Amino acid sequence: MRIVCPFCGERELGEFTYLGDAKPVRPVAGASEDEVFDYVYLRDNVAGATSEYWYHGGGCRAWLKVSRNTLTHEISAVEPAAGAGAAKVGA
Amino acid sequence: MVDFSWTPRSPLEKALVTGAHGARGIEAGVSLTEIRNFDLVQVMARRGKAADMAKAAKACFGVAPPDAPKALQTPDATLIWSGPDQFFVLSKGGKHAMDTLAPALSGSASLSDQSHARALISVSGIQARAMLAKLSSIDLHAASFPIGAAAATSMDHTSVTLWRGADREDGLPAFNLLMFATFAESLWHTMLDSAGEYGVTISHSEDFA
Ligand SMILES: [Zn+2]
Repeated sequence: MRIVCPFCGERELGEFTYLGDAKPVRPVAGASEDEVFDYVYLRDNVAGATSEYWYHGGGCRAWLKVSRNTLTHEISAVEPAAGAGAAKVGA
Repeated sequence: MVDFSWTPRSPLEKALVTGAHGARGIEAGVSLTEIRNFDLVQVMARRGKAADMAKAAKACFGVAPPDAPKALQTPDATLIWSGPDQFFVLSKGGKHAMDTLAPALSGSASLSDQSHARALISVSGIQARAMLAKLSSIDLHAASFPIGAAAATSMDHTSVTLWRGADREDGLPAFNLLMFATFAESLWHTMLDSAGEYGVTISHSEDFA
């Protein structure tokens, strides 16, 4: 598997580290215990299109959001995660 | 009161043995030269200040820093891309060292002195590409990786900054490898192993290749 880093270009898998599902959103302060439990522990086991965080630690050290199909390993999109590179984020 | 004296030493001081290595009886295909005593500063734009940083850097170096994987040569420094909105300043003689760059750039960027935190090795020669191909998955063919091309990548599971410098005087290609000092000895041995079959000339230098 290879990932096309938006900053570096196409690179081998060994340069990247998988963090996990990019879908869960941190609950607001004061959210219920169930919501927090869900956010921290519960993950969908998707067969199909997913969105994941990957870290290009063996390269430019940017966090990336990768759209990948778990059935085919086909990657349809790679974009910088929020906060990757100073220019990509508003002041 | 104890007096401490700090003497800079190369991280390859023990591992690097100058002279010939590997295959004998053929003209050495690879030259490995460690460059010592350089000034290296990492410059990273503060959040939302990438354009300000580029402007301030242009005032320092006469050119805007690279915004893609490239190395720019100015008369007295090399600016090497190291990631989005960040670059290295590699130079000698203190002109672009931390204390000179910080006043000019610290408003828009965070600076970190890496002079003694990295080792710099020049890999050149007719077999330089063949030797690097064993360690790197980057396409180093002249058409894909021209002079001035750079990559933040890994070799032997070790992060390195790789860029192609000007060709040697004899026209053969030269690549530069910047690596963490603490990993330098390990990577050095790996490099010797991959270069051995081509015959290696080992040296160190106070000057850039
Ligand atoms: Zn990258």
